Amino acid sequence: MIQVCFEHTFVGWRDAARRLVRSAVSPENVVWASDKQDILFEGEHVNGVVVDSPKIPPGFIELAESAACFDDHAKWDLMYRLLYRQVFENGNLLAIESDPDVCRLRLMAKAVRRDIHKFHAFVRFRRVECDNEEIFVAWHEPRHFTVEMATPFFARRFGSMNFSILTPKGCAHWDRCDLTFSPGVERSRAPSSDETEDFWLLYYRSIFNPLRLKTNAMKKELPVRHWPTLPEAVLIPELIRAAREKD
Amino acid sequence: MDLKRKLAILADAAKYDASCASSGSHRKREVKGIGNTEGMGICHSYTPDGRCISLLKLLLTNVCIWDCSYCINRRSSAVARARFKPEEVVRLTIDFYKRNYIEGLFLSSGIIQSADYTMEQLVLVAKTLRERERFGGYIHLKAVPGASKDLLFEAGKYADRLSANIEMPVQKDLDALAPEKTLREIEDTMADVKAGIDTAKDMAKRDGSTPHFARAGQSTQLVVGASESSDTVILSKAEALYNRFKLRRVYYSAFSPATHTDPALQNKPKTPPMREHRLYEADWLIRNYGFAAHEVTDGLDGGNLDLEKDPKLAWAIRHRHLFPVDVNRASKSLLLRIPGLGVRNVQRIVSIRRFHRIKLGDLARLNVTLSRAKWFVVTADHNPDVFRLDRTNFPDLFKPRAVQPSLFEPFTSAISAITGEL
Repeated sequence: MIQVCFEHTFVGWRDAARRLVRSAVSPENVVWASDKQDILFEGEHVNGVVVDSPKIPPGFIELAESAACFDDHAKWDLMYRLLYRQVFENGNLLAIESDPDVCRLRLMAKAVRRDIHKFHAFVRFRRVECDNEEIFVAWHEPRHFTVEMATPFFARRFGSMNFSILTPKGCAHWDRCDLTFSPGVERSRAPSSDETEDFWLLYYRSIFNPLRLKTNAMKKELPVRHWPTLPEAVLIPELIRAAREKD
Repeated sequence: MDLKRKLAILADAAKYDASCASSGSHRKREVKGIGNTEGMGICHSYTPDGRCISLLKLLLTNVCIWDCSYCINRRSSAVARARFKPEEVVRLTIDFYKRNYIEGLFLSSGIIQSADYTMEQLVLVAKTLRERERFGGYIHLKAVPGASKDLLFEAGKYADRLSANIEMPVQKDLDALAPEKTLREIEDTMADVKAGIDTAKDMAKRDGSTPHFARAGQSTQLVVGASESSDTVILSKAEALYNRFKLRRVYYSAFSPATHTDPALQNKPKTPPMREHRLYEADWLIRNYGFAAHEVTDGLDGGNLDLEKDPKLAWAIRHRHLFPVDVNRASKSLLLRIPGLGVRNVQRIVSIRRFHRIKLGDLARLNVTLSRAKWFVVTADHNPDVFRLDRTNFPDLFKPRAVQPSLFEPFTSAISAITGEL
């Protein structure tokens, strides 16, 4: 058994996985430690180099980079098992999307992509003034570790505004020049109101068609877990009630 | 009138236009500007009607000189009226956009004075957003039927999408419900928009730049259930529009009588929401699955789609002689015809079977809807369900549960124990 301590990022995993796969260490013999430390191999001595430059099929790195943001420690083991199987068993493994391992990794990557998409959709900026400068601040609660992958989008789109996006899993800051990251914070650090929200809520209320109530369709795309961070969501119970009474 | 009151009236009036798409356009943010589009649309919120909010959808005014019976904003309707100043729409769009509420603006309008005057007002808003505010977000403008080609061309320069609503599939329906409208005028407008798109594409090809004319194409909408036209007539019209004008989408809006409905339509029953849903499914088959409209509609009872089963399943039951299909050997176009199998899974199957023989378990892991697909496929392992296909009572399997003959109950529950579905 080999206990691998590594930095819990894609790069940390990649560096460790590269050394392991070159020595053909079977995934059954690897434990991916949950403590964050520098790369360290403990236990049984790792064999010498068996494959000098293992061939990594195209597409795997991109997939693993997404899966690495998934909020479940089991991903590291799964990623290594797939890497190992591709190098030593079947170079075409990724194309077999119905393989149970491939299927699981793709589902993780898909969940992360969806989380990033919802990140782009559900961030709500609130305008505040700080030393005569305008800054837009948002509070968001992503399901996975997606702050670094999701926020460059906002820099491209809102490049001419200063903004900060605060989340419990990390924060992103844009000063119209650089995107920087800092550790997660609590919700109380984010502003609690914005002068435009009245108009936004009024719009939400007015564009809703009470004659075609489809609450399940709404909840599928606007999961209840996101409601607490969306200003318009306070209206939902009231709008549903009024629509039912009308019917 | 204060801005809030106007917003309430003119958002309420805009909700009957179903389109909220914001995909298919690419625009980089200008250096000091705000906003971009990156191809993928984003739904920023959802209302309890299950619809997404992607764009700020507004009418510039709900005052209208036309009197279309199905429309809440028709001249003779008693609804409250309002009119935005172009500047107010610009302000709301920018304020909403900066807070990440929306991808952009969808601006439509009742017809005031003339088609050209109305179109000018819409263009003015888009022009101000693009040129003064350097707004790079998504803009969908209504193409007013009968507006001059010059105005439509100007609109296309600023807008990502243009849409002229066809409203009804045949002139006879328009004559009855929207006497001031003609299919010919609406289709001429679509032809002008198409000409603008084609010209921009040709020019871009020549100088290697990106075309700047309604990058996300044009769409249209029609009202379902206000006239007598059947789904067969509607889908054949939709197919013709896709072919002639290269529309990106046709939207279907189920008619339902509301407070301000025209007396002529007050006694019309509410169109079942399922009818609208089935039309969207059939439309999807035409656009993405290689179906011709007549294939979806041939042999339908009364010319309307079956409300109880989706059109692909209904087609497969009518064409049982083409099944079962061997997922390990069949052509892609035939795989696309298997009920329960989507476009993405067809691509996956084609890729998997180069290296691996596909079994039922593979289909289950791909999330294929086995409750529909299993009756129609041959896999590398034994599929017990496929033998039901030749029985005369096969179509009964797909009747709603309550009316399913009890004779089948023990059999079907044994099957569902195997597949975990049905």
